Amino acid sequence: SSNEHKLNFKKSKEACLSYIQDALLQKQWKRAAEFLTCYVESLEKDYSREHIGPSEMIWRIGTEILWHHSQSRMKEFNCFMEQMKTLGVKRYLKVCLEHVFHLLCNGQIDEAYQNLSLAESWRCGEQTAIQDKEIKLIQAYRGLLDYCSWSKQKKILLEHGDDGFADLAVEQEMHSYFRKAAVNLKEIIKIPGVWDVFVKCYVDLLEFYGEHNEARQVLNEYAYNSKFPANPNAHVYLYQFLKRQGESKKSLISALKILHDIVPSHELMIDFNTILQKSKKRKKRQLGLEVIFAALDYSGWKENAKAWSCLSRQVKQIVISEKHLDWIKQEWNSRKDWWPDFHFSRYLAKRNWQENKSLSYEKALVAGILLGKDCKYFKYVSHQGCKARLKRFRMLKKFMTRHNPRICG
Amino acid sequence: MEFPAALFPSYFTAGPPREEGGPAPVAGWGEHGQVLEAGPGRRQAQPAFVPRRGATGERWEAAEAAAVPVLLPSAGCWIPSPAPQDILYRSSLCRKLRAGKSGATLDFAKQLGHFFVDHPEDAFGSLGRLLHKNFYLGNAKLKRPARNSTIRMTALLEDIDRLEARRGCPRQHLASRLRWFSHLCRDWLFEVPLGLLADCLHEELAQQWSSLLFDDSLTGGALAWLPPEDGKRPVGRLVHPGGQAMNHLYFQDVVLEELPHARGSPAQFELSGRIRQVAAARVDGQDFVGVRSDYHCGVWRVPGKTGAAPTPLQVIRTDVPASCLTVSPHLPGELSVCTQSGTVYLWSVETGLQQLRHDPQTMFFRDHSPWRWSDFTAHPRVLSCADRTGLQCLDARAPKRCHFDLFKVGEEAGCQQGERVVLPMYLGRAHPSQYLVTTQFSMYVLDERLPLVPVLKWAHMMKAPPLFAHLMPEKPGRSHKVLLGASRTQELLLLQYWGGSQSACQLAGTPQKLHSIAGCLQHLPTQLPHRHHLLQQRLSAPAAGLAATLQEDGPRKSMLIFQLSEAGDVFCQRLIHKATQHPAPPSRDEATTAPGSSPLFEAPASSPHGLSTAALRYRRWLRALSRAWREPPQHTWPPSLSQRRLFTRRDLEGPAGPSSLQKQMRQRLRQTMQEGGRIQRWEPLALQPPPLPQTLELAGGPDPLSNRLTAAWAGDWDQWWEERTSFSVAQRQRALRERRRRQKRARGHRSLSASFTSSLTYQSELSELSDGGPLLLSPGRPPVLSQESSPPAGSPPVRSHPPSPAPDEALLSSQSLRCRGIPKERRKTLRDYLSVWAEGPPEPPELPGSQASQLCFPSSQSQLSSASQPRRKRPRMGF
Repeated sequence: SSNEHKLNFKKSKEACLSYIQDALLQKQWKRAAEFLTCYVESLEKDYSREHIGPSEMIWRIGTEILWHHSQSRMKEFNCFMEQMKTLGVKRYLKVCLEHVFHLLCNGQIDEAYQNLSLAESWRCGEQTAIQDKEIKLIQAYRGLLDYCSWSKQKKILLEHGDDGFADLAVEQEMHSYFRKAAVNLKEIIKIPGVWDVFVKCYVDLLEFYGEHNEARQVLNEYAYNSKFPANPNAHVYLYQFLKRQGESKKSLISALKILHDIVPSHELMIDFNTILQKSKKRKKRQLGLEVIFAALDYSGWKENAKAWSCLSRQVKQIVISEKHLDWIKQEWNSRKDWWPDFHFSRYLAKRNWQENKSLSYEKALVAGILLGKDCKYFKYVSHQGCKARLKRFRMLKKFMTRHNPRICG
Repeated sequence: MEFPAALFPSYFTAGPPREEGGPAPVAGWGEHGQVLEAGPGRRQAQPAFVPRRGATGERWEAAEAAAVPVLLPSAGCWIPSPAPQDILYRSSLCRKLRAGKSGATLDFAKQLGHFFVDHPEDAFGSLGRLLHKNFYLGNAKLKRPARNSTIRMTALLEDIDRLEARRGCPRQHLASRLRWFSHLCRDWLFEVPLGLLADCLHEELAQQWSSLLFDDSLTGGALAWLPPEDGKRPVGRLVHPGGQAMNHLYFQDVVLEELPHARGSPAQFELSGRIRQVAAARVDGQDFVGVRSDYHCGVWRVPGKTGAAPTPLQVIRTDVPASCLTVSPHLPGELSVCTQSGTVYLWSVETGLQQLRHDPQTMFFRDHSPWRWSDFTAHPRVLSCADRTGLQCLDARAPKRCHFDLFKVGEEAGCQQGERVVLPMYLGRAHPSQYLVTTQFSMYVLDERLPLVPVLKWAHMMKAPPLFAHLMPEKPGRSHKVLLGASRTQELLLLQYWGGSQSACQLAGTPQKLHSIAGCLQHLPTQLPHRHHLLQQRLSAPAAGLAATLQEDGPRKSMLIFQLSEAGDVFCQRLIHKATQHPAPPSRDEATTAPGSSPLFEAPASSPHGLSTAALRYRRWLRALSRAWREPPQHTWPPSLSQRRLFTRRDLEGPAGPSSLQKQMRQRLRQTMQEGGRIQRWEPLALQPPPLPQTLELAGGPDPLSNRLTAAWAGDWDQWWEERTSFSVAQRQRALRERRRRQKRARGHRSLSASFTSSLTYQSELSELSDGGPLLLSPGRPPVLSQESSPPAGSPPVRSHPPSPAPDEALLSSQSLRCRGIPKERRKTLRDYLSVWAEGPPEPPELPGSQASQLCFPSSQSQLSSASQPRRKRPRMGF
């Protein structure tokens, strides 16, 4: 009966698919391609209601094979993609995007641009939400490519600034690129998402044309709109912009403070600490200590010599001045039960000494202040340092005996 | 810790997942996802773009055609867990009913039937005993008076058989007698009320079935690899469970050579539950190994030095099964534990347990699964905790206030409907702030600095959800390797990715499927069908763990992947890094491997044995396995003691037939009898006493120890002690005399055969008579006698049992012989004859039955008693 036939057909289709899958997972591209030619038959009787139908499967598998097959050429790939675009209306934009991505990765920027323009002008009935997103992405990528052309023109213009006639044509072209890019980029960054590339390009365009206010607005929106994900880069871009604009320390600090609240382990925390340490206000300096302590909580900072030297400098200052020892105490209270094992174990003393002497110096100083002279880390490192006749370490020992700080008590 | 200067573009929407979907077989192929301008520092004529997925990765190729066993199979037989066909109802009728509907029907009736048959005592015990008189199982007709109170069951049984025979017959309901019987008995026959029993059984069946569909107790895997310190010596340690119940923990040294092999015997610990998970982390050069079973979690410390013994540190017990145990990579002796009641603990060996959260509800939306997971993050005081709906990070210092959402099953991560978290894992060794989350559809890489938005997402297309994952971190500039493993299907997938600090995260290369344990079956030599079936069952047991290591040997890089199966087998495969990327000649794996063709067993020219090491390994493994099969399972045998251990071989040696002296004597006797002469005197043909037979120790009279044990066994040990201590010497002597008298009297009534016992006494008499001739046939007797009759002064009489009856009894006196009507002239002959007999062990066929053999023993006992003098004294000293 036809039902049975349908079942058998389905079964053999599934078997064929599993063979293909097997071949792909073992990188047997040739074998997979042979099976795929058989699988194409499944398009004929496509009764499936699964969310990935045979036509999508063929697109995905075929693309993968053509990426890796030793004998595939770009021409064949393009040809295959064109065919795939006609295979499903709903998937047209997605296939276009993927095609563009592949062209971009292979350095075929102009072809990619053409494809993007084509895809942008494609219309087919009512758009679904997904298609809407896809078309916005296509426009954004086109904007990105326009921006690339713009910056290329800009470069030419800056390099050949003397040639008056060429100047004008280039400048006009550049302007047209700017307009096209700006329109498209502006659109996408309104929608919540991660748009680092697009925001950077757009801000660059605006800054070039002196529209600083809009640039600031865009960056503020990108950083502080709660509908957007908490992207550290958004704050970084804002901070960098403010720095470029020569803004006041106060606004820089407030930008970095928010970054500190979101990502205490960000690498800009060293800059933040430096700014704060230079500040005359006590509160700022205390915040600086907080920031550097918080950064060193993270395992990624464990062996960061720069961070340790920041901390040791500040802590040493406090100890020498004998003011605000309570700041250290306050920070140390929440850490005293795990920092000794985490940072100041004997094993780490040995290893740091072997691998990075200056790191072990800074750490030993901090350990000595926080835990006293008898702590394993300080003892080991100062002993090794004195044994190696390093002046620094002898000074360190002297310093510790002279000041004998009592944070731990 | 740098953050990538630009991330791949993506939309961000909050809310529940919108995309409908399900398992899609090819969803992971053919997509770049997004592209990003590579390196802003580059000043090229054209911008260069990199894809999120699809960059060329490293090329790794399998060294062998299949995974190879690392350890020999354990001796105990393995009991496979129930298969779907054991639980599900299968019949044509059912299939018709179910056509179109998905969902399984549990074979409830069969299981209930099994219960009744296997545990009749529990099912019908008391009423069965009460009623057994009223049920008749014979074939004969019942007589009148009995018929009033007895049911003939034979007819009912026949009806049941018939019912079985016409299963599916539409006129099935016509078994009225059965219906009548079941109506009558249903309410009172069962020990446990039938409804209750059925409820329990159904619950158990449903649970078995759900664990067959997806068993999350194995999450994380029960295999760990402790790499050598600094990679100096290629000897690492494999931590794995074993034993029949998987309740033994082994720490096995493994040498990494061409094929890794075990070195020495493993350190072994017996635990009180099946090991579900083994987690390990290295802190300050020491490995900490956490082991989770259902109700117990334990932690071991393994010093970094090779060969150092692992030390158990602490064990905790939970009331609710634990579902997760992870070891902190930051601080020594810190772990995190989750239980199925929704509690998360930070467990420190020094300070104990700290409860971080208790919430039986899931975090982001309602899900019925009690599974919880927890792991560490870049901050040693911040722990992630997960359930099926997502991940949150908690600060252990203020768990109620400080937390943030790291991953949500929702539109934020572009999840599908029905997607659930299967395994989260901290990727700290690759990048301090990265996290891996796998679901049944996809794998995600998350960065805790940018929560909720996965920095990498890829549909892994595995047939079963990945319960195991293993990370192999690499130096900057090379791709990190992640292995995903599924349990039921034994799938293994190798992925590569890089980025996270300077550049955005990218998936590199194509995913690669690795050998599963079951895949080696087609390469093995042909087996007998039933062997093949057993082997197949064993090899396709669900995977239970995964571990791997990278090995660098000069320019050669290789990757070793260990896989553990539920049967306790550990298999290993090696992948070799191929530096040359381009034009790859169609290699072996391009050719289809037909079943039966086995490159594994092809003989390479280099090998001296004609087989590769892998093949030799297989051969040994198979041999050990078949040995294990041949040995019948121990528990079916009644408990027995090995005699070989209890007695030395000399003890067990039987009397080696008559000695040469006996032969001589016999010959002489025969000769003399033929001649009609008489033997005046036994000439000392040999001066040495004949060797004492030692066989009969067991049968000997009770020594004090066995006496005491016998008494204790019988329950009147007190009395024995009383007897031993309080009896006065006089009382004892009287008792002895009384007993002797009774024995004498008893002997008087015995037949001739009884007199054989006394031969020795007679002999001693004889030797006394024979004016001081050499004591040939009763060596060492006098000391025994003297000791027994007169215990050394000052020491209380110890022996409560009668002294061995034979020696000093006048047995075959002339008087008693005369009583029996034996003429005088023959008495002497008889004595002579018997004396010869008495010296050797009696020959059984010539003795009348068991009585004789029993009675014969005392004589040898007496000899023995002299031989075992020192032993007799011991108890006295001991008391």
